[in-house]
Amino acid sequence: MSVKYTPVQWNRVKYCYDALLVAGTILFLAVFLPLPPEALGHTRPVDPQITNARAFGACAFVMLSIILMIGPLARLDDRVLPLLYNRRHFGVLTCLVALTHAYFVLNWYFAFSPTDKWAASLSANTSYGQALGFPFETLGIFALLCLLVLAATSHDFWLKFLGAPLWKGLHMLIYPAYAAVVGHIALGALQSQEVTTFAWITAFLSLGVAGLHLAAALQARMSPDPQAHAVPDPAWREVCDVTDLREGFAQIAQLPDGKRVAVFLHEGQISAISNACAHQNGPLGEGRIVNCLVTCPWHGFQYDVRNGQSPAPFTEKIPTYRVRLKGSRVQVDPVANPPGTPVPPVPLSKAARV
Amino acid sequence: MSEKPFFIGYAAVPTALRFVMGLVSALLIGGAAVLGYAIGHAQDDPGDGAFRFDYGRQTVTGVIELTPLPVMHVIEGSEQIAAGDTLMLSGAGKNGALPRAAALDGQMAQASGVLLQRGEIDMLQLRGGRNGLQAAAGDGTTPAPVDLGHWKLAGEICDGKCLAGAMRPGRGISHRACANLCIQGGIPPVFVSTQPVEGEEFLMITGPGFSPLPEAIYDAVALYISAEGQLSRHGDLLVWALEPDTIEVLP
Ligand code: FES
Repeated sequence: MSVKYTPVQWNRVKYCYDALLVAGTILFLAVFLPLPPEALGHTRPVDPQITNARAFGACAFVMLSIILMIGPLARLDDRVLPLLYNRRHFGVLTCLVALTHAYFVLNWYFAFSPTDKWAASLSANTSYGQALGFPFETLGIFALLCLLVLAATSHDFWLKFLGAPLWKGLHMLIYPAYAAVVGHIALGALQSQEVTTFAWITAFLSLGVAGLHLAAALQARMSPDPQAHAVPDPAWREVCDVTDLREGFAQIAQLPDGKRVAVFLHEGQISAISNACAHQNGPLGEGRIVNCLVTCPWHGFQYDVRNGQSPAPFTEKIPTYRVRLKGSRVQVDPVANPPGTPVPPVPLSKAARV
Repeated sequence: MSEKPFFIGYAAVPTALRFVMGLVSALLIGGAAVLGYAIGHAQDDPGDGAFRFDYGRQTVTGVIELTPLPVMHVIEGSEQIAAGDTLMLSGAGKNGALPRAAALDGQMAQASGVLLQRGEIDMLQLRGGRNGLQAAAGDGTTPAPVDLGHWKLAGEICDGKCLAGAMRPGRGISHRACANLCIQGGIPPVFVSTQPVEGEEFLMITGPGFSPLPEAIYDAVALYISAEGQLSRHGDLLVWALEPDTIEVLP
């Protein structure tokens, strides 16, 4: 068996992905910015600084909405997975666009004043007690700070340094940030606009993000719960029937501690590994075996299903589980082995194979 | 699970996925263009206010009146500013003209700077220091204000400078913090009435009895409100002594 392994580094797909991102962003701005006042029916042009602030702000919102749609879409239809692949670059670019928006606002609305512009951005409007006229800038500042933290910690170095669970938890900040952005727009730009197009677009995108998350969550709930038929011996948990297994693929089950196990059938033998990829907790059980290695559907990290180890020279390790067959039922010991522990695979008896 | 194509970023893209990826790319690019155009096209008219740099520097002489913020009743006009006009005055940026005008109440002065204009509203942004405003020789008296009674009006509190064209647009909630900073800095606040008052859409506002506007009004800036106050005409400028307790935010 030959092992050809390349980690998540620069590759053609990434270049194409980034080129697409940059092209889309530039196109959005290039269409928005040069619209002449005559085309908009205005006597005099909107200040260039305000046009810039609007264009970059709207662009960042659209980008953030798309980023948040990718996750649930990929759960609903795995053909969308390629979009997930390089989502971090998408996030970093969004942060830069949002930063540019803030730059134009800060150096226009908050400039030219005896009050320092940084202080003014927090002190000029303090009507926190009212919805109309609420200091929507504060919501934008909060969201921008979140985006900055996420962009700064987006590199794999931080993932390693913080550990996947903490890193993932930190990156959940994207949700409060998005909520703040929607509030920022709804209480700011939308309150001073007579033309309602942007209001409709904002509603469509934000409801789209919420709706897709709901749909993905519902779908996860509807998928059969293997624990419905719990085993009498509480030490071992039942995952599925052998007839559910397919060569090269996995069945996933939730264990009492909340973790998920992925039970793979590989070359006629059953092995169980943690469902969480060591890279970013990607769902390994939704991947498949490629060249004898379990391949993560998110960024393609690979593991030997029998010991949870990435092939040399890579050093990633994930926990493994003991497996056994009770008749035609596949069961796992819910106590995880330390990452990288070899477990002898359980051969499917000829009789059990369908 | 089926034999669906499986995407691995670093490996060649499966042929079956290429089509989907092409479609998604086209959607993203097309969507960017459509959304950029739709949102860009949906901007409101920012009005016709502007710095009149095209007029060049204007230098006029007249009487200063503190309402308490300074206005000038022009006696000797310039090319673009007629004698008899009443100008609101401001310094550069978000700085008012009161520090320079305070000592000149009721006196003749020369003002020089660039004009801001929007409809009937005129404001002169003074040059720096004494070049912008200085005492002048000559006779002139403040025209007696004409009392126009107690009015309840609906509209929006703005800062007179951004509204007059220092920013376009210079009103609305997006601009609210900026308007607060202007008013704090001493720029004359202006009320944009939804109905013309005595033929005018813009009124300069002060606190009750021509006192400085109290801080309480910052909560109402840039909102659609109604309020009451005593109205008077100073030269050709309407001045409304707004009573903050009467402010009501309208839906
Ligand atoms: S490869 Fe990135 S999460 Fe698995």
